Order: sequence, then structure tokens, then C-alpha cells
Amino acid sequence: MAEFSWEARSPLERALVSEPYGVQGEAGVALTEIRNFDLVQVMARRGKASEMATAAKGHFGVAAPETPKAVRTADATLIWSGPDQFFVLSKGGRQSVKSLVPIFAASASLSDQSHARVLISISGDKARALLAKLSSIDLYPAAFPVGAVAATSMDHTSVTLWRGNDAPGGRAVFNVLVFATFAESLWQTMLDSGAEYGIEIGHSEELA
Amino acid sequence: MRITCPFCGERELGEFTYLGDAKPVRPAPGASQDEVYDYVYLRDNVAGAMEENWYHGGGCRAWLRVTRNTLTHEISSVEPAAGAGARQVVK
Repeated sequence: MAEFSWEARSPLERALVSEPYGVQGEAGVALTEIRNFDLVQVMARRGKASEMATAAKGHFGVAAPETPKAVRTADATLIWSGPDQFFVLSKGGRQSVKSLVPIFAASASLSDQSHARVLISISGDKARALLAKLSSIDLYPAAFPVGAVAATSMDHTSVTLWRGNDAPGGRAVFNVLVFATFAESLWQTMLDSGAEYGIEIGHSEELA
Repeated sequence: MRITCPFCGERELGEFTYLGDAKPVRPAPGASQDEVYDYVYLRDNVAGAMEENWYHGGGCRAWLRVTRNTLTHEISSVEPAAGAGARQVVK
């Protein structure tokens, strides 16, 4: 039997080139791919939404979002993804699917999405201008504050969009979770949309 | 045209997929051939308010029951379809 060596690689490994893109000078947008995260989809079983909520509160210490919001816990972010369902986003295996299975055994179905999605962080003075070309969601600060979430579409691709904590200096940070196989396409679209502002491109191991 | 998803709020038409008339109900297992034929093939051609099933596939992936006027596209109500999640979060 053949021996295989599996190596986890980012779906953006080919498309992401860590150098300035578009107009030269000070970049108006920073596009950062966040790599190596744990992402678990938690979906209540039929009629078990309140049991799931109780289990989540007991485990995380805070209530899981029941409206389009993202909630920070000590070592994870809980992101609304639809009625009676949410994502658990974390790093370093602290909230992996394996550790969550016993918590939700009686109330919810779990699905490991760690390698199924790509996480792109968009920040900078022109972040909203770039996103306005891709999305019809109102990202005005009062309409889309820190912690706001939208399950929506960009460039005909389903995404989960949420606003993370502001970067130092108070600049807004938007996070986009996109299906891995659509990530390269959406990435190229983001590059096209942001070229006129100048883009700083990179990848990071740190969750924003 | 925009649809106000009870879970997500107001969204553009492109996020939704149209299934069709929400009125037909699957006949009981012992139903006559005519009843099954009616359920599968026969549809009313409504001019006015019509209940329809829509799918918010580009968003929260919930099934919705939308009442739309086929003459004006005016939408008078949007509710989660049965089994689409218990909580209605946006009024």
C-alpha cells in the first residue's frame, strides 16, 4: 500500500503574494489571510434549540448568539450563521470539534469546517469602500458595529461577514469566511476591487 | 425587489431562490390518483396575493413563506417556513 504524507496547505497559497498590489504609495486596504484556525459549525437538532443554548452557556460562560452577532469568549469567537446555528472559531485546538462533541452530544450536530473555509481579514481606511463593491450590506459604523454579523453573498458566493474588534487606532476590521474552493476567486475579486486604493497583502496566524 | 428575511433583515433578490406556490399540501398515502396528480402538476395562476416558498440560500439558508402580490411584487409578509428554525429574530 502506498504511503501518503498529508500536508495542510492554504487554498490561497498560490494566489496570495505578500507584496503591495495596485496603486503604489500608502496602502488604503490591508488584506490578511488568517491561517490554521479551528472552526466548528454547531446546529441545533430539531426541537433542541433551547438545550443547545443551555449547553453553550454552560461551556463557554456566555450565551451563544441567537441573532446575527459575534460573541467573544475567553478562547473563542461564537459567530451566528443562521437560525439555531453558529460557528465556534478558535486557535490551537482549544475548541476543536473533538472537545465540543461531548458538550453538544444531546442537543446539536457538529461539523468540522476548519479546512473547509478560508478566513480573510479586511482593514484599512478604504476597507468599507472595497467591500461596498462586493456586498449590499450597510457597513456604516452605526449600522454594522463591532460584533455585527451578516450571512450574505459576495460575488455570488456565500460568505459569513462580521466586524471584529477595531485595530489599534480605531480602524474597523471586517472578517470574511468563505468556502475554501471559492476563496481564490473571491480573493482575486477583492484584489481587483481594491487595486485603486493600494493593497497591503499578507497572512497571519493570529485571529483578529 | 428586496425580501426582508425574518432572520437576516432586508436583502436583495439575488440572495434568494424561488421555489413556487406554498399552498399545495402533499396528499395522504392513500389518496386517489387525481389528488396526487393535482398536487404534483396543477397550479393556480394567481393574479394578486400569493403564498410562495423562497430559499435564502445566499444568506442564512432558511426556507421562507412569502406572501407576494404577483401584479405589483408587493410583499406583505415573510415568515419562516415550518422547520426553518424556531426563533424569529428580525421583525
